[in-house]
Amino acid sequence: MQIELKNIKPQYMSEAEVKASDIYLQKSVVFEKRKKYLIKANSGNGKTSILNFIYGSNLKFDGEIFYNKERKEKEVFTYRKEHISYVFQDFKLFPSLTLLENIQLKNRLTNYKTEEEIIALINRVQLGEKKNDLLEKFSLGQKQRVAIIRALCQPFDFLLLDEPFSHLDNENIEILISILKEELEKQQASLLMTSLGTVSCFEFDRVLNL
Amino acid sequence: MLLKLQKKTLIKSQIIGYAFTLLIGMSILLTVFQLYIDVNPLLTEQTDIFKKQSAIISKKISLFKTLNKEKIYFKEKEIEELKKLDFIENVSVFQNTNFKVQAFTSGSSNFPMFQTDLFFESIPDIYLDINPEEWKWNASENFIPIIIPENYLNLYNFGFAESQGLPVLSKNTISNLTFNLQITGNYTSQNFKSRIVGFSSKINSILVPNDFLIWANKKFSDSNNSNKINRVLLEFNKPADEQILNFFKSKDYEINKEKLEFSKLFFFFKSAIIFVFIISLIIVILSIAFIFLSLNLIIQRNKEMLLNLANIGYTYQQIAKFYQIMISVVTVFVLFFAGILSTTFRNMYLVKISELLNFKRQENFIFIGMFLVLILLLGIYNTIIIRKIKKVV
Repeated sequence: MQIELKNIKPQYMSEAEVKASDIYLQKSVVFEKRKKYLIKANSGNGKTSILNFIYGSNLKFDGEIFYNKERKEKEVFTYRKEHISYVFQDFKLFPSLTLLENIQLKNRLTNYKTEEEIIALINRVQLGEKKNDLLEKFSLGQKQRVAIIRALCQPFDFLLLDEPFSHLDNENIEILISILKEELEKQQASLLMTSLGTVSCFEFDRVLNL
Repeated sequence: MLLKLQKKTLIKSQIIGYAFTLLIGMSILLTVFQLYIDVNPLLTEQTDIFKKQSAIISKKISLFKTLNKEKIYFKEKEIEELKKLDFIENVSVFQNTNFKVQAFTSGSSNFPMFQTDLFFESIPDIYLDINPEEWKWNASENFIPIIIPENYLNLYNFGFAESQGLPVLSKNTISNLTFNLQITGNYTSQNFKSRIVGFSSKINSILVPNDFLIWANKKFSDSNNSNKINRVLLEFNKPADEQILNFFKSKDYEINKEKLEFSKLFFFFKSAIIFVFIISLIIVILSIAFIFLSLNLIIQRNKEMLLNLANIGYTYQQIAKFYQIMISVVTVFVLFFAGILSTTFRNMYLVKISELLNFKRQENFIFIGMFLVLILLLGIYNTIIIRKIKKVV
């Protein structure tokens, strides 16, 4: 699967604001399978927006997005379930459910991982003790780890990470990177990650400035 | 998991409020609906109590009409107008006596001595409510059968006889008494034998056979004194039609009100049923509006959670399913309970009605009605919930 952006621009931004962008208002930006992309920009430059446009959760943009050279806006939702997974910057977790329930809520939909696999992942990110605790008690860093594990509970061709390590210490970042690398390899998937600056955790095939 | 998450979004007090108002509204609605079905044939069809309802009308007698008697007679045009009304099946006019009649007993009679002036009227036999064996007149015989209103006998027995210390008389006793009639008119006079052969509860007049009166009018009345119609007997095909009362009121006709009491009664019954039906319908509609308001509140309060569900891959149908099932289950349960309640109410009123009247039990439509309302409500709820959730996510 590949994703192509053509003349994309958020409706809330003026042309002058996106003038220097490698993505916005470019004739064609192609994200290919099994490649890793870093989208870099300062705050407020539309990093989250570009991921939301691709994910189909925000359609307030000008231009076109093609999935496998086709533009089917109505099918964005099925892409979301089967081809694109997304770690949201604001996690979009459910505080009234426990850690395990939050992950199962997603996994029940896809049946992608077994309960043992999920628990193994939780243990790897050092949250095994807390798996039955309500998420409302979790710190931001803990929530970030849960959100990443949850995103891995589905098949995907593209994994979107929106500033995924902003609240984590180096030890946890390393653990998560190794998990993510394994999963990307297993699924033969691409990575689209946003960041405020340069990060060296992955060997990116391309770095794009927004 | 989804269930656990969505269960927490419900506002229990509002669901209970919805269930309670719907239960009250539907119980009344179904009961009233069934009551109408049960009682309607009793009042409109040919059952014992209101079979072939008829009434006698006349024109109101006012001071003005006392002076000008012509005004109390029905004109040919007015009779024709009556015949054209759809709620009237038959119109029959009364024949009057245009001669003088005296009843008296002779010394040899077994009747107490009396002499009185009388009048007769007649109508065709088919309009009579009784058919006594002796109700025949033959020109060759000197006998005239008479039918008097049943309430005359009551008036005599319970009023006159009581106050004058006279014996009370049974129908049988009276029917055995023979008396004389003297008819005078057109410069001639003739005596007849007569007996009361029946008592009518329908016609409030002293009746003789129609053939006799036609014959006697020819023989004893002045030729210029033709039959003037001052009373008309009407038979209704739809005795419960509220138009009946309205029509006579507009025409200023006097109607034997007692006879048409049922018509008023039915009119009030029908109005009351419609009134209660509308009220219960409003309660049901309010309960539906109430659950929609509650649903809107749930959606607004939990918008972020619903959006997050959509963001992690749940479809709007999957998200809506819980609310659809929840409202459907509550509605099914409430309507079923309302059906049971209505059936209980029905059994209670059927016992009461059966005690008072002899009537044929109608089919129970409560559960059919309940089922139809259920299908309608579930259709509305499921469509609207899906739309609302889709709009949010």
